[in-house]
Amino acid sequence: MPGRVHLAIVVIACLLGLMFAGVSTFDFAQHLDREVHDLHCSFIPGAKTDLAQGASSGCQVTMMSPYSSVLRTSFWGGIPISLPAMATFAFLAYRALDVLGRHGVGRRRSAGVLFAFSAVPVIASLVMGVIALVELEAACRLCLGIYGASLVTLLAAGLAYASIRRAPLDTDDAHAPSAGMMTVAAFAQLGAFVGIAVVGYVAKMPDYSRFVGTCGKLDDTSDPGKIMVDLDKNAASHQAIEVFDPLCPACRAFDRRLVGSGLDREVHRRAVLFPLDNSCNWMVDQALHPGACTISEAILCADEGKGPPATAVVEWAFEAQEKVREASKNDPDAARRMVVDRFPDLGGCVGSDAVRQRLNKSLRWAVAHAIPVLTPQLFVNGTKLCPEDTDLGLEYSLTGLLRRGGGR
Amino acid sequence: MNGPVLRVVVGVACAGVPTLLASSWVGGASTRLSKIEAGEAVDEGPGEEKAAIASAADEGYCNGDLRKILRRVLQSCGLLGSGEVRGCQPVQAKNVATMTGADFNALFLPLNQRAGIIQFEKDSADLDPGDTALLDKVFADQRGASYFFVVARSSPEGSTDHNRELSQKRADAVMGHLRGTFNDPDLDREVGLLWLGEEYAQLDEDFCGWKRSGAADKCKPKDINRSAFVAWIDCRL
Repeated sequence: MPGRVHLAIVVIACLLGLMFAGVSTFDFAQHLDREVHDLHCSFIPGAKTDLAQGASSGCQVTMMSPYSSVLRTSFWGGIPISLPAMATFAFLAYRALDVLGRHGVGRRRSAGVLFAFSAVPVIASLVMGVIALVELEAACRLCLGIYGASLVTLLAAGLAYASIRRAPLDTDDAHAPSAGMMTVAAFAQLGAFVGIAVVGYVAKMPDYSRFVGTCGKLDDTSDPGKIMVDLDKNAASHQAIEVFDPLCPACRAFDRRLVGSGLDREVHRRAVLFPLDNSCNWMVDQALHPGACTISEAILCADEGKGPPATAVVEWAFEAQEKVREASKNDPDAARRMVVDRFPDLGGCVGSDAVRQRLNKSLRWAVAHAIPVLTPQLFVNGTKLCPEDTDLGLEYSLTGLLRRGGGR
Repeated sequence: MNGPVLRVVVGVACAGVPTLLASSWVGGASTRLSKIEAGEAVDEGPGEEKAAIASAADEGYCNGDLRKILRRVLQSCGLLGSGEVRGCQPVQAKNVATMTGADFNALFLPLNQRAGIIQFEKDSADLDPGDTALLDKVFADQRGASYFFVVARSSPEGSTDHNRELSQKRADAVMGHLRGTFNDPDLDREVGLLWLGEEYAQLDEDFCGWKRSGAADKCKPKDINRSAFVAWIDCRL
């Protein structure tokens, strides 16, 4: 039978694509218990990645990005896009088997439909690949596996179609549906493959609404000590207090997720600086983020109108996190030098008694409210967003908090 | 593949693979979530240590005896409870501390890196620029401390009553400066004043090596007791 080898390659490529997408979906679904998990980020489907390595790996970045799933405000974490990818590869494998099971003109038409639909994962791969490279600046091995499987599927399906088309018709299948009918049926089948998988996924999801607003409240959201720093000029009615460390990678990732979700525009954000650096913070035994005290002082200085806007210093600090931490490990004055190099106007303020005292008050705000020693923390209208909901569940849980105007 | 029935069977099987896999993974996560809610151990994932709760500093020198004395002094001298600063007079301080002056001073020895001794001129309660500079420096370095002690004294020249009044004025001068310089709404809950006059817990020359605002050669007992001893106390009570 012409094209048999190519169809076998299509089936194998689809199975590989199904595996890559399956491992990605598995990793995503693991997080639905709201805990932290290892990722399986490897060209060998199922091989584990060390969490410490995974934290900065492309797989972690892509999975936590807003592009990894859809409908995030409706479902906790949303529907991972790797799930439709699984269904699409299963569908294409089915269509390849369908070609093998047909004769004559029916086989030729079915091969054409397979070739046409095998472009779907390639187009999706192109879109996701561009997003990964341009927006996320990260490449995940599982994703590359999916891209590769998609391409091989398209090429093999194209070659199979060409072989079948070139070969003379073995029989005359008078009952074969028209190409148009077959295409419509294939669309319906693809919709059914994806729809059933999504419905099965959603049906098994726990009810997360019961967790929204259950992680504590601040007794008082006022700021008599003037320690909070405005992070935007939004006139939103919802007030958000963000406890963060400018050199904390999780805070930067949280900030980007929040901005990426668009929900930052629905709140007025104020920051309470909480550097995890024992040069000013007595609550930590060591400098988890060396230089964070100095950078926090720079943000407070900027907030007092001593130069650039505070948000510009925060943005710079997020960008330069790794450099500042590394430089400050063995040189306590490095962070100050870097601040002054970038923002000369802040030189006279950073390290002054007044700003040190304001930063101290910021830390004491945390003591007065008995909050955990960790960053980031977000309080919306005084109600805490659960730490488990600050990554994949952010959109769902924050939307829930905003809808109820705070907590329960 | 022959016939529509077989085609449907294979289609259902193919569609079932992603559906069953995904729903079983989500179901697994759902089960784990229920277990976590029920407080059962879940052996998957790296686990997380529970974060400590933010709290004031509590240094190693805050032993039981020191804590007891501090609590008594703070309660009797107006810091705990009402939240108003009243200050504590010599007789009161002596009674609540129930200890000798030397033992009272020994309580503060672990604070040698945190404290400052603001030295005044004879029969004066005025702060000079050197005094305010040291006071600002010590006060700005609060870190995690909860209480700021101002223990004012006077040298033995003059009458007991006059010296009691003078030491009170010195304590008040310190408080007035703090109030005027640091616009701190917590001041009244943090600063404790004691004025000891000449009657109790006079400093000896061992304190000459501490941070002082007086000249290096001005450290006779009469010089160092014309003073206000200021320090943040890193103890939780």
